[in-house]
Amino acid sequence: MTAVGPAAGGGAGPQNVFMDQFDLQARTQRVWDINHAIWFTLMGVGGGVFLVGRILNLTEGLGYVLGIPTVDVVSFLAIAVGGAILVADLGRPLQAWRAFVNVRTSWISWGAWSDLIFLVVAGLLVLPALSLGGSEPFSGLGWDPHGGDGGGLALEIVAGVAAVVVMTYAGAVLARPRAIPYWNSSAVPLQFLLSSAAMSVAVVMLIEVIAGEPVTAGQMVLLAVLTAALLVATVAHLLTRTTEPGKRESLERLLRGQYRGLFVGFVVAAGTALPLVLAVVGAAASGARDALAVLCFLLLVPGGFWLRLLTLRVGIFPPVHIPGVGGPRSVAIPAGG
Amino acid sequence: MTRWGMVIDAARCVGCQACTVACKTENQSPLDAWYAPVVEWEEGEFPDATLNYLPVLCNHCEDAPCVTACPSGALTRRDDGIVMADEDVCIGSRACMTACPYGALHFFSERGTVAVEGAPAEAVPSVPERYAHQRHVRGAVSKCTYCAHKIDFGLENGLEVGVHPLATPACVVTCPAECRIFGDLDDPDSNVSQYLADYGGGEVLRPDAKTLPSTQYVGLP
Repeated sequence: MTAVGPAAGGGAGPQNVFMDQFDLQARTQRVWDINHAIWFTLMGVGGGVFLVGRILNLTEGLGYVLGIPTVDVVSFLAIAVGGAILVADLGRPLQAWRAFVNVRTSWISWGAWSDLIFLVVAGLLVLPALSLGGSEPFSGLGWDPHGGDGGGLALEIVAGVAAVVVMTYAGAVLARPRAIPYWNSSAVPLQFLLSSAAMSVAVVMLIEVIAGEPVTAGQMVLLAVLTAALLVATVAHLLTRTTEPGKRESLERLLRGQYRGLFVGFVVAAGTALPLVLAVVGAAASGARDALAVLCFLLLVPGGFWLRLLTLRVGIFPPVHIPGVGGPRSVAIPAGG
Repeated sequence: MTRWGMVIDAARCVGCQACTVACKTENQSPLDAWYAPVVEWEEGEFPDATLNYLPVLCNHCEDAPCVTACPSGALTRRDDGIVMADEDVCIGSRACMTACPYGALHFFSERGTVAVEGAPAEAVPSVPERYAHQRHVRGAVSKCTYCAHKIDFGLENGLEVGVHPLATPACVVTCPAECRIFGDLDDPDSNVSQYLADYGGGEVLRPDAKTLPSTQYVGLP
């Protein structure tokens, strides 16, 4: 029987005397891990909380920090902390400004700009409400921080668009290159976007509970729709291109291998399906809504984090060459010169 | 227009790793970075087992995903097709490393050391310009450049690229089996074009990635 030996991925580890760069095997990417998962999660929540707060008109009534609505403060903090983690993770953090350069093709550059634009524009939007020591030094600025007039609405729209990009770009960074088949799918940014939106609704509901405001049935319905869509996107991603080299190994780890419990049990069942059920129940049962909202938060946010971390950890490059299969004949060089 | 490329006749490779070492010597790459390893794998079972070899390096892709992913513009593709990494511009996001299907980008991590003897941990400004390609920046990404410094030197001094040892990538010069051929893919009379013509065209690694590599293969197992 002809078989590719352990060096080709049989689990015996590198056989070469040097290192695994010298083995023909599927390789797991190891350059992005927990820091990036935290960054992805915080960016998703940061952009999402701002959007949810504004779309559901929840900026007023859920408390204020220095005069600024709590939902906006949570949003700013999440994005600022996420950005700081990203910068700290760079090989050369002092050169971080260069991340803005390649907007022509790089999603990271798009993300850097959207983070900056969001923080600046949304910061400007709420600036008139800033209260320091009993005074409001910027109250003379001519717009409504809640978007109630033309100027405020314009800033709100620009910040909202930037927030959508902030929520989406991490998934796009992973999905664009073809190197890692599990990542190279529109399902990844879709999952990240839906997960971000669901986490954000849960965070806003938690803020409502803390502020003593009622969680509405409409919010529960919104959460149910988002988690249902996330479940569909996740399952669809698991069911497509299942035999493709690289993705096959990723699915193996997620569904049968070392991450099975975390992924199937925690991310899919507890972190997505269960909140869907709870949201449906919460939409119907007003009495238990606050408790269900808190439960949804406790399940969705860790679930969203682990969705991102496991997506990174099953990023597997297939072998550069599969013996006996080969590649297409080059069309760059005409036969005969 | 010139498009530098390499043809690797995998059937000729004897797995001596001379190219691996020549590359490391020429480029003084960081400790754990191998720009041009020879991948090897076993097939079959004793007594009918064989050991196969596949020299790999940066594919200098026409549609280079590393260049597309790089947020800082540190990775660029020259007019002659060579993909270069400017380590002074690199921010160390490592987006290129996740985008490259060939594992051709290498991060100079804390574990690595500056390979220039006696050099300080950071970039080494005292290295003469001639050896600028051996200066590596901690926290940045580096890669194979087809020994662009040698190609440029050859062009400046009227040497035939791909033929004269001073104007040819180190891995090509050192290969005892002559399994690597370097030249202009856009010139139908060049050594690489003629070699590919003899085989009816070359093959590429990871064809699913659709990167249009300038590194092409014949005799793949």
